[in-house]
Amino acid sequence: MSRRREPRPAPALELKTTRLAGIQVILNSAEHAALDTHLSTLFAATPDFFDGEAAVFECGRLPADAPSPDWGWLARELESRGLNPFAVQNASAELAAAAREAGLLVLNDSATAPAVAAEPAPAPAPDPAAAIAALAAAAREAGLLNDDAPAPAAPAAAPTRIIDKPLRSGQRVYAAGGDIVVLAAVNPGAEVIADGSIHVYAPLKGRALAGARGDTSARIFTTQLEAELVSIAGVYRTFDTAPDAAVAKKPAQIRLADASQIVIEPL
Amino acid sequence: MTTIITVTSGKGGVGKTTTSASIASGLAMRGFKTAVIDFDVGLRNLDLIMGCERRVVYDFVNVIQGDANLNQALIKDKHSENLYVLPASQTRDKDALTEEGVEKVLKDLEHQGFDYIVCDSPAGIEHGAVMALTFADEAIIVTNPEVSSVRDSDRILGIIQSKSRRAVEGREAVKEHLLVTRYSPKRATEGEMLTYTDIQELLRIPLLGVIPESETVLQASNQGIPAIHQKDTPVANAYQDAIARFLGEEHPLRFVEYEKPGLIKRLFGGK
Repeated sequence: MSRRREPRPAPALELKTTRLAGIQVILNSAEHAALDTHLSTLFAATPDFFDGEAAVFECGRLPADAPSPDWGWLARELESRGLNPFAVQNASAELAAAAREAGLLVLNDSATAPAVAAEPAPAPAPDPAAAIAALAAAAREAGLLNDDAPAPAAPAAAPTRIIDKPLRSGQRVYAAGGDIVVLAAVNPGAEVIADGSIHVYAPLKGRALAGARGDTSARIFTTQLEAELVSIAGVYRTFDTAPDAAVAKKPAQIRLADASQIVIEPL
Repeated sequence: MTTIITVTSGKGGVGKTTTSASIASGLAMRGFKTAVIDFDVGLRNLDLIMGCERRVVYDFVNVIQGDANLNQALIKDKHSENLYVLPASQTRDKDALTEEGVEKVLKDLEHQGFDYIVCDSPAGIEHGAVMALTFADEAIIVTNPEVSSVRDSDRILGIIQSKSRRAVEGREAVKEHLLVTRYSPKRATEGEMLTYTDIQELLRIPLLGVIPESETVLQASNQGIPAIHQKDTPVANAYQDAIARFLGEEHPLRFVEYEKPGLIKRLFGGK
């Protein structure tokens, strides 16, 4: 055991910045029937897709005059499908009040990820690095941050994660902030997740989820496409029906077109 | 130097116990002092396959809990000189296997000069199976030529890579071997079963052997004599080959090609 300095009792409470992996539930409509129908079709093939992930209702796309959705019902529906909805964001005062009544939190707009803009051009988000630095400075001043904790660095592109052993059923790897390169097979039941792109130079037989934090420009590449599921920035496709013969078991690239359509092309 | 071999599969009914009994017997027949331990607490079977069920007095859990010493619980095999069986308890559950307890028993066997300890894992990926693989130096993954068995084998390989002591302590990884059992060359050729190359392609670990599907195995189990003792049967020969490969010898695969029976054979029977 190396001892670098006098041992100091750990404080009872520490504050550290974190990023929560979660799902945005983007509401385009507040209408009960429409939501119900779409939820059923969305989850019909993959009822077990989610496994306790946190979820936030994004209200930025709802028409200004939309009535408040039935928040309690909506939350229960998502819970029954493995999500943990806990808050709303970008909600009008009226929607926010109803959500609060239903037991949901109302996230302060500045505290949340940039809203999914209704228009193609997203509002410029405040520089996250500057925001984190300011937060850390304030916290340190207040004596809340441990001095020897590394100063939060500006989020640069994370180094590419490289995996050279087969990923087996039940194994899951996640490349936070960057790309992942897998040099061995991704077997059925295994999961590769990256905030950036995913490169698999071997058979991809499991699941691949690129752009996990919403990067719609992320892509998936593989030399042998046999995946169970691919997803880019939350838009996913399962392969209950085999993919096109041009790409099935062949080198392929998967990308997102128009931010909502999975496109699979031969490499 | 004791080598701990875990025989595991994830899926049940694929031939783990049959394989444990035959591999342990085969190693003992070659002169290695070998112990085979039944980790399937609550569903004890190894003693039946080894034909020593009437001689069980104390068991693995008794030794772990200090109710008996190791020598009282070890049963000397009738068929092989150097082989000892440590049976599981039938009346406890798998939580009775503690990591410290299992480690102590394995250490004690090591001190007694055993060359090989074969751990017969229960099915599943829960506590009992994890205990059986925790201390492994080498693992034999028993797989049947069907997709669910292959998937489960893949899963257990992932668990070996994350939960074994060697993995946790960052030592050299557990050496993995694939053993395909209940293989029917005819059905594989006709596309009714996965071929052993399909299985190997998915699991990507070295192939130790292919054991053909045979009535011999059931007969051997019912008699309580490990299949490897059924002289000159394909199953016994295939297990002997697997042991030879395990010990580093090169042997071509046998019993994997299907030959269409000739006219005479079809007319006059034979299987």
